[in-house]
Amino acid sequence: MISRSCSALLIVGHGSTVNPDSSAPTLAHAAEIRRRGIFADVACCFWKEEPSLRDALFFFRDPGIREVYVVPNFISEGYFTRTVIPRELELTGAGTTRHGVQVWKYCDPVGNHESMTERLLQRAREVAPGAAEAETSLLIVGHGTELNDNSAVAAKEQVEKIRALDRYAAVLNVYMEEPPLVSDWLKLTGTKNVVVVPFFISDGLHSYEDIPALLGIESGSDRGRHELHGRSLFYSTAIGTDPKFADVIIEQAKAFDSRKPVLQSAS
Amino acid sequence: MSSLAQEVALGKSLAAGLWCIGQIAIEPQENGRFALNHREDAGRNDLIAHTQPEKAAEIARFDDAGKYRPLKTAPNLRRGWRLVLESVAELRVALDLFYPGRLDVFVAWENNALSATPLRETLARQTGMYRVAAKIGEEEANTLVGNFCASDGGCLRTIMWRRDENGTTPSTLLPAEKFDPRYDQTGLGETVIPLLCQEACNLLVAEARKSVQGQDRRGQ
Ligand code: SF4
Repeated sequence: MISRSCSALLIVGHGSTVNPDSSAPTLAHAAEIRRRGIFADVACCFWKEEPSLRDALFFFRDPGIREVYVVPNFISEGYFTRTVIPRELELTGAGTTRHGVQVWKYCDPVGNHESMTERLLQRAREVAPGAAEAETSLLIVGHGTELNDNSAVAAKEQVEKIRALDRYAAVLNVYMEEPPLVSDWLKLTGTKNVVVVPFFISDGLHSYEDIPALLGIESGSDRGRHELHGRSLFYSTAIGTDPKFADVIIEQAKAFDSRKPVLQSAS
Repeated sequence: MSSLAQEVALGKSLAAGLWCIGQIAIEPQENGRFALNHREDAGRNDLIAHTQPEKAAEIARFDDAGKYRPLKTAPNLRRGWRLVLESVAELRVALDLFYPGRLDVFVAWENNALSATPLRETLARQTGMYRVAAKIGEEEANTLVGNFCASDGGCLRTIMWRRDENGTTPSTLLPAEKFDPRYDQTGLGETVIPLLCQEACNLLVAEARKSVQGQDRRGQ
């Protein structure tokens, strides 16, 4: 159980050596969670920024801290959650005991949490207030199938869940570099309103420049409503920039303790 | 919430007279407050004042020319700001954003709990696109570290790791002070909380990869 006296939280992000916006949402969620005083300590670490995952091995040396919840701020399971994070943090399984008394609990990535569907729906409502869902197509943008990454699979699962709710006229997966392409949005949809939500952790160059260019709106242009080809196009920031993501991070830490024992032995 | 060990250790370091860290000067104020500014901005009265510890992330993100700083311990911290903080707890949050991870590593070092990882071990552990970095030759590694990690223009950290298990010096091009935690890497000669490098950063690994790939191309 998470306790404010003996539990710590480590949020693991990707970070970037070129994109200043990459780590900003992770840092903002950490600040928000710290402010709430749920954990004795809250820290971040990054693959491509400081502090590194290797630095994190020296965090939480307070003898009062008995457990460290390690939450990957990633959209899905994949190369980073399966290979890089366990290797760099020297995690030996779901729970790793350090210094004899401290257990590092390796949680599922944030994007896997069941509340993600509700976050996407809420994001869609926020970016297109007043747009009747029955006259709206919702497009969820995924990265595509790079480097042993399951983010495309995760994006497909979200689309299926939202589609099953039968609220939107259409719910579709689109990608930047493979079909169905985000640039084909006009052909792919037949509704008056089209809402586009990037299923990404941060607003990188993809969501600032690439996706707007593919949608045919000005690069770096304001999020929100664009009137194009007689349609209303609503473009949202990356889902990971949603301030409510902080709640999902906390929920994902809590979910560790309610996992079934059989899952805890998996590496 | 009780003060964490790191905050206690930070308080002790300040009490012992360590009022500088990297390019930052920490000045004690009344009522337990602290004021931070760039060491080269001492005495300026036109600094823009901030009071949120989280502001440190923003200050540290870009250099004076507005360029993104991928390495926070590079000697290019922006000038012209002043950050006033309420407590040691806030100071710790701000320093963790200016120089991420450095306080914890320093505390580990003070407690004889810091283990450094040889460069060859870091390179050998890589997978994916960085796996090839391990192929870097001795001479190339010597030159790369000598240039990339140099305090003058490269990075202000004190190198604690060796190049390999045999204890080979990281680079013969670096002066002995680069490995001395008591030395002020800015060259200003003050007592400082050192920015320790216990393991090669991802940027150096990426440079090693580039060096190998450049060699491969030249060899073709
Ligand atoms: S390896 Fe260490 S000293 Fe060299 S640039 Fe990276 S952080 Fe600085």
